[in-house]
Amino acid sequence: MKEIIFAGFGGQGVLTGGLIIAYTASNLGLETVWLPSYGPTMRGGKANCTVKFGEKPGEAIGSPSMEEADILIAMNEPSLDYLEFCKKDCAVFVNANAVPESHVYPEGVDVTRIDVVELANEVGNVKGQNLVMLGAVIKKMGLFSEKEAEEAMCKMFEEKGKGAFNSANVAAMRKGFEAVS
Amino acid sequence: MAKELLKGNVAAAEAALRGGCDFFAGYPITPSTETLEYLSHRMPELGMKERFIQSENEIAAINMVMGAASAGARAMTASSGPGISLKAEGMSYAAHYSIPFVLLNVQRWGTGLGSLKSGQADYFRECKGGGHGDYHNIVYAPFNIQEMVDDMYEAWDVAEKYRVGVTMFSEAVLGQMMEAVEMPPFKKREKELDWGVDGTGTKGMKYPTGDGWDYVEFELEKYNRIIDEMQRWEFYNVEDADYIFTAVGLPARACLDVIAKLRARGEKVGMLRPKIIWPFPFLGFEELHRVNPHVKGFISVEMNDMGQMVDDVALAAKKAGFNVPVYCYPCGGGVPQVKAIIAKYQDILDGVLKEKY
Amino acid sequence: MTIIKKIPDKLGQHALCAGCGHGIVIRLIQEVLQELGQADNQIAVVGVGCICTATSALKVDRFQAAHGRACATAEGIKRVRPNVVVYTYQGDGDAYTIGIAESLNAAYRNENITMISINNTNFGMTGGQMSWTTLPGQKTETSVNGRDCELTGLPFHFPEMVANSQGFHVAYAARGTVNDVKSINQTKRMIRNAFEAQLNGEGFSVVEVLTACPTNWHMTPQQCQERISTSVESEYPVGEFKKRG
Repeated sequence: MKEIIFAGFGGQGVLTGGLIIAYTASNLGLETVWLPSYGPTMRGGKANCTVKFGEKPGEAIGSPSMEEADILIAMNEPSLDYLEFCKKDCAVFVNANAVPESHVYPEGVDVTRIDVVELANEVGNVKGQNLVMLGAVIKKMGLFSEKEAEEAMCKMFEEKGKGAFNSANVAAMRKGFEAVS
Repeated sequence: MAKELLKGNVAAAEAALRGGCDFFAGYPITPSTETLEYLSHRMPELGMKERFIQSENEIAAINMVMGAASAGARAMTASSGPGISLKAEGMSYAAHYSIPFVLLNVQRWGTGLGSLKSGQADYFRECKGGGHGDYHNIVYAPFNIQEMVDDMYEAWDVAEKYRVGVTMFSEAVLGQMMEAVEMPPFKKREKELDWGVDGTGTKGMKYPTGDGWDYVEFELEKYNRIIDEMQRWEFYNVEDADYIFTAVGLPARACLDVIAKLRARGEKVGMLRPKIIWPFPFLGFEELHRVNPHVKGFISVEMNDMGQMVDDVALAAKKAGFNVPVYCYPCGGGVPQVKAIIAKYQDILDGVLKEKY
Repeated sequence: MTIIKKIPDKLGQHALCAGCGHGIVIRLIQEVLQELGQADNQIAVVGVGCICTATSALKVDRFQAAHGRACATAEGIKRVRPNVVVYTYQGDGDAYTIGIAESLNAAYRNENITMISINNTNFGMTGGQMSWTTLPGQKTETSVNGRDCELTGLPFHFPEMVANSQGFHVAYAARGTVNDVKSINQTKRMIRNAFEAQLNGEGFSVVEVLTACPTNWHMTPQQCQERISTSVESEYPVGEFKKRG
C-alpha cells in the first residue's frame, strides 16, 4: 500500500493533483481512497488530500486517514508540518519556489526540490504547477508509467469537461517527468 | 460495468436514484451537502425536476419527504447531526404512520454546532429512536463507499417491506472521500404499494389507528420481524482471537490496519463489525461464541466522547455467554489513528485502561 | 319549487363544539370539490388543533401532518401527485404561529396547493391561548389581562402578506367568514376560486376563514357572530387580496 499526502494552499491544485493519482491507480484496477481536507480548510487556507492505493490488485485499504505516508508533497512551507504523519524514511517533494533551501528536515527524509513555477512557465502553463510536481513524483517514485499517468489524467479532465486543456496539462506533467530523469 | 471513482455523498445519491428514489427534499449542511447538490442537477436530468426541493429548513424537508412517501414516492432526505435533530419530530411522525423513507446522516462530531470532524456521536439517536415515542429505523453502517452504495440500493426495498424508516449511518470522511465503486442498474419497486394517498380515498395510510393494544401489537410484531431478519455483521480473524475489536464505519477500517499490525507481531486480535447497528447483531455475538468461546475481552472503538455502541456490545456479549470485560476507546472526533488504537490496546494489556463493563 | 340541498358525498360527522365555524368550512370545501368533480381526487393535509376532532368529517384521503408542517407535507404530496387536488386545513395557531415558516415558504415558492386556514383568534384545542391572530387587548389563557402588542407583536395578516409583499407571487389570497348565509356563500366562492386556481396550475391559493370559538371566547354563538362582524372583521377585513389572473 502506498500513502501520499499532497498539501499546499487552497488554489494550488493539490486536491486535483491527488485525484489524478487516485484516478491512475483506480484505472489500473488498484483499490484506492482519496480523502480531501474539507470544510473551512478548503476556503483559501491550508488544503491537503491523502491518497492511498494498493500496490497489487485486491490489496484493500484500511483507514483512509493520514497515518504513515510514504510520500509528502509540499507545495508550501506549512505543508511540511504533515511530516508528523509520514514514515521516518519518507520521500518529500517540495515546491522550491515556496520553501526556502535552508529548511531543516528530520533525519532520514529524502528531499527533492522542484522549481514548479519555472518549469510550468517553460511550457506556458502557469496553472499546471501541481501537474509538474505530480510528474516528478510519479517518475521518481516509479508509482506508474508515464503513459498510465498521462492517460488517466486526460481521461479525468475529459470527464470533468476540461479536456480542452489536455495538451497543456500533458506538457506540464512531462516537464515534471523530465525534471527528475 | 466499469468502476467509477466517486465521493461518498455523490455515490450515495446516485445509488439512491438507482434504487428507485424519486423524491428528495433537503437543506444544505456540511458535510452532507454534496448529496443535495448532486441531486439538484441529477434529478432534472432524469426527468424529475419537480421531485427535488431545496427546502426552507430541515423540518420542512422531513415533512415533505413524509408527504411524498405517503403519496407513493421513494423519498429521501440527507443531513448531518444538527439538521437531523430538527428532523426528529418528523421521524417520529413517519414512524407513527409506518412511512418508509430513507435518511442519510453524514455525521459530524459533537453536540450543538459541534465541528466538521468525522463523528459517530449520533449512535444513540439513530439506533434508539431520537424522536418521541417508541420506534426504530433500520440503521445501516457501511464502512466503504461500495457498501454504502449497496446498502442504499437495497434501502427502499427493505423500508417498504417492513414499512419503516431506514437510516444510512454515514460520517464526514466517508461522505467526503472518493473510492472506486460499481453502480447497480436502475430499478423500480416490484409490486405497487397497497396503501397511500392518491386522491381516491380507496387505500389510505392503513396504519393501525388509536393508542390501543392493536397498535402495540402491530409495532411489536413489525420490529421483532426486523430484529429476526435484519441482523448483519462481518468477522475478521476471530477464530483464534484473544481480543475482539468492535467498530463500525471508518473506525472499523482503522481496526483492520490495527489487526494487520498486531497480528504481524504475534498478537491474536480480530474484529466483529456490525454492518447494521439497529437491529444490533446479537446473533453475531452468539455465532462468535460458537466459533471462539475463548475471547478474553471486547474493545469497542468509536468516534464519540464517552462510548455509545459499547453498551450494545456489552449486552450482546453477555447474552451470547461471554463473561469477559468490555473495553471502550471513544476517540472523539475524527477517524482514530491506527497507532492510537494500538496504544489503547497496549493499555488494556497493561491493565491501565479499565473495562467499561 | 323544492330546493334540495344535498350533503356532499365525502362529508362525515365531527365532534366540534356547538357554534364552531369549522364544520361549515369543511362542508363548503366538500361542496366545492364535488361541484368541481374532484370529490374522488383530493388529498387533505390537516394540521394539529381542533381539526383533530373533526378529521372524521373528511371522508377522503387525508394526512394528519405534524403541528405547523401541513404545507410542507402537502408540497411533498403535490409534487408526487400533481393531478390531485391537495389542500391543507389548518387553524391559525398551526398555520401562522408554529407553522409560520412552512406556510410562508410554500406561498413564497408559489407551490400549487391550496391552504384553507381557520382564524378564530386563539389556540382552540389547547384551551384558548393567545395566537399570532389574537386581537389587541383580547383576553386569552396566556393573555389574561388582554393581549399586549408591545410585547407580543401585532395581529398577523397572512393573506395580505402573501398577496402584497415583494417576492411573493401567489395565485389567490382571500379572507371570508361563515357568519351568515351571505358570507357563507361569499366564502364558498372564494374556496371555489382557490381550488380552480390549483386545478389550472396557477400556484398557491389561500382562503382564511374567520370563525367563532364560543367555548374559548366564553360567549354564546350569537355573541360570537356579533364579535366577528364588529371587532374581528375590523382587524381582519373580508375580501380578496390577490385576485386570479
